[in-house]
Amino acid sequence: MSDLNQIDLRALAVGNKRTWDQFVLASTALINAVVRRSLSTYRLSEEDVMDAAQDVYVRLCANDYRLLKTYDPARAGLSTWLAVVARSSAIDHARRRRQSTTPIDDVPETALAVEDRHVEKLKIPEGLLTERQTLILKYLYDEERDVAEIAQLLKIDAQTVRSTHHKALLRLREHFKEESS
Amino acid sequence: MTTDRIPKTDKELWQSLSTGPVASDAVPGTVSDMDFAAWLEGRLSETQSAHIEAAVAANPEMRLAAMELADILGMPLPAAPARMAVRAQALVGFEVERRVANRGWLAGLLDVFAMPRAVMAAATVIVAISGFMLGGGLGESYAQEKVASTTQVVSLTQTQQTNELTSFFTSDGI
Repeated sequence: MSDLNQIDLRALAVGNKRTWDQFVLASTALINAVVRRSLSTYRLSEEDVMDAAQDVYVRLCANDYRLLKTYDPARAGLSTWLAVVARSSAIDHARRRRQSTTPIDDVPETALAVEDRHVEKLKIPEGLLTERQTLILKYLYDEERDVAEIAQLLKIDAQTVRSTHHKALLRLREHFKEESS
Repeated sequence: MTTDRIPKTDKELWQSLSTGPVASDAVPGTVSDMDFAAWLEGRLSETQSAHIEAAVAANPEMRLAAMELADILGMPLPAAPARMAVRAQALVGFEVERRVANRGWLAGLLDVFAMPRAVMAAATVIVAISGFMLGGGLGESYAQEKVASTTQVVSLTQTQQTNELTSFFTSDGI
């Protein structure tokens, strides 16, 4: 299997058959993994996974490789960009599939219901927390992710995640303590 | 993977807050795939990162996407089914096929009319050439012509010499 970094992007974007074949061989493992993970919650069949992966490749070469030509090697690695493209393509595929196959009667009522909770929430003033602090608090509390996962995502130390979380909470507590007093 | 225990009171505080306005004010628009990939690799400046982080914080789907992609990109990947590659490779044809596919309708129309005529012309030329070759070709006919003219010249010279000898013997020369 060839490496994605060795792919001649110019040859690929002009439709060189050999380069395309090399690109496909180098990228199927990644696209397969991303598509499978993205579709895992949709409970689709193996054929759907294959079709979703094929959709990713169709998108890449459609309209004279328009999508592929938007890739900029100076900004991100090809594998990361491909993973992002594959995920959004797979989610689109799953949504189209679900829309066309699931009749409304088959969807449980609880899934369609809108929870009517009148909970008044305090508003965080703009600028009180940085975007990173907000993101870390959301990952920690809304999604219950652990510190190591967040550190891996943000490419920072686990200790930095902890200290960012700590500072954010201090700010919030201080602000609302002042407000209440 | 380690699981850090977060004090429950902190969580309760967070859940009593509405974070919507903070995030939505900070998000100027959608995030492109390229920007998102650059952010995942940590290649953006602080300002650019803040923009993406605001968008990710505001959108649960983006938060999930970021986590899943970071996880996949950081681990060894299992091989894909072989037919996935075969199907994808079939999407792009060879150069000649692409050139033919790119031709316009006019070229196609010309093909419809021009093709039978070209076949007929080619067949005629083949028949003519094989007939000519069976007949010995140009070289043979040239050679025949040359031999014929040489024989004629030789016979003409011989006749002339014979005549001269006869006239010598019959003349008063002896």
